[in-house]
Amino acid sequence: MTSLFVVRALAAQTTGTVDLGISTVRYDGFLPSAAGSLSPALTWERPGAVVTTRGTYLRFESGRRSLQGLIAASLFTPPSLLPHRWRGELSLSVGGSDYADFASFWHATGEARLHYVGTDRGAWIGGTGGRTSYGSAPRPVAVAGVGLWARRAQVTVTASATRSFVGDTAYSDVGATIHATRGRFAVDGSLAARLSSRGGGHGVYGEASTTYTLGERTALLVSSGRYPTDPVSGSVAGRYLSVGLRLRTPLPRPRAIRDPPLPSRSLVSGDGGGSADVTARLEVKPAPDGAVRLVVYAPAAATVELAADFTDWQPVALQPTREGAWESVQHIPGGVHRVNLRIDGGRWTAPAGTTRASDEFGGEVGIVAVP
Amino acid sequence: MTPTHTRAALPVLAALLLAGPTAAQQTDARLERLDAATRSTVAALVDSARSALLPTEPLVQRALEGATKRASGEAIVAAVRRLAVDLGHARDALGSTASPAELTAGAAALRAGASPTILAELRHARREPLTVPLAVLADLVASGVPVDSAAAAVLGLAARARDADLVEFRRAVERDIALGAPPAAATAAAATAADVFVNAGARQQRPGRP
Repeated sequence: MTSLFVVRALAAQTTGTVDLGISTVRYDGFLPSAAGSLSPALTWERPGAVVTTRGTYLRFESGRRSLQGLIAASLFTPPSLLPHRWRGELSLSVGGSDYADFASFWHATGEARLHYVGTDRGAWIGGTGGRTSYGSAPRPVAVAGVGLWARRAQVTVTASATRSFVGDTAYSDVGATIHATRGRFAVDGSLAARLSSRGGGHGVYGEASTTYTLGERTALLVSSGRYPTDPVSGSVAGRYLSVGLRLRTPLPRPRAIRDPPLPSRSLVSGDGGGSADVTARLEVKPAPDGAVRLVVYAPAAATVELAADFTDWQPVALQPTREGAWESVQHIPGGVHRVNLRIDGGRWTAPAGTTRASDEFGGEVGIVAVP
Repeated sequence: MTPTHTRAALPVLAALLLAGPTAAQQTDARLERLDAATRSTVAALVDSARSALLPTEPLVQRALEGATKRASGEAIVAAVRRLAVDLGHARDALGSTASPAELTAGAAALRAGASPTILAELRHARREPLTVPLAVLADLVASGVPVDSAAAAVLGLAARARDADLVEFRRAVERDIALGAPPAAATAAAATAADVFVNAGARQQRPGRP
């Protein structure tokens, strides 16, 4: 008998990545240079808390090297502390960098943000305070900022404005970012301008990067752009083009699988001969009179049967439709239901489109929730 | 499980664990599909559950599922007994007013790894039926989301979200997991719908920027 406690998942998750890359970079005031980079990162997260640490080792073609490191943590207020849709965030960031044994920076800052979190849009306002140092007495850091964001399907757009004071340097940044995903591609873009600057530089900056997922643990990165000097962390303005490979730790392994692949070729072509290790997709759609229409997409199947707790586990033959689907209308009470499909008299399988779980009888069952 | 829950569940557990192949008072006709020995034991388990005021339909359905899948009698009895124990724990956590649908969903959440304490907190947080929140909770955990993360997200949404909102939330998490996000991060992102703002101190890093 499987114990409840054995299957309990961990409370926190840790993920790690290592980026290996080559770049051509031209820092403002320096000659262009090629560089190789190694950037490990580790993120630990649990409800209400995230800690990220990352570093970058750069080796330039001149033989000089640069080291950067950062550790940052964020704490979030529990949902019950603030009114609905409002969340507080307190973050701390400590980092340092060292270039070729003659330029060293460090910074330590804390930031508080108040988020308004809607379903697909939101806003934040925040303030940062801390210290930063560039080979001399530490200078105070103060930043005030506001931001807006909106998210639709797989695209997220943000806009933000900040006013920063670092010692006697002062500047404003306004900008926008976009993050979009499609299939194996993820694209990030940003466009910003530095305005009203006293010692922080002026200009318009933009960066773009594309990530192409090769497999569960690997991805290709291509990025390019120009970024401004950051007086807080000590990074110097520059332009670059980078190509890299990202390796990451395995993702936490689901104990159940959702949306397995659509029917394989053998099923689609009809030569499966009742093979039941392939399965078809089940969709649950509302029907008149409070009934539910169960639609299975298996165009090459000769027979499709469904058995579930709402059929007393008696096989029900689905009827073919003109579109190559199979369907049955059932009166299903709201709740959590268990369902299996059988194609061409093969084995009972958990349909795609449901959460697959062990059925305790040596097979799998699909779980669906009907509101 | 808390000591309180354990104490409350003990009578139910004892009855279910001790239930054997005795003559049932009213054997469900649908159980005729089982062999005689299995039918007798399952009927006794159903009777014990009925005596403990637990819903019996899920137990009958679990036995029928086993019969349809040609499982052994031993496997069917074990599965029915496990479900009955889970229903008892779910009832202890959700209270005696919980509906059969809620208890079934609660048992699934417990089986997925949620604790009775989480179920009790959910009951406290939401006045509306808990069937969908519990189903979403079980679904998230089954998808690899840590129990605490899933519970925090569902608890955060349960107080005011409609069932449709919870279903949409679950879809958003599934989509992000399918796109490669760690399950915990996907859950947090969907719960706040603001993944770009998580971890303020560490977010300003473009991949590949030297």
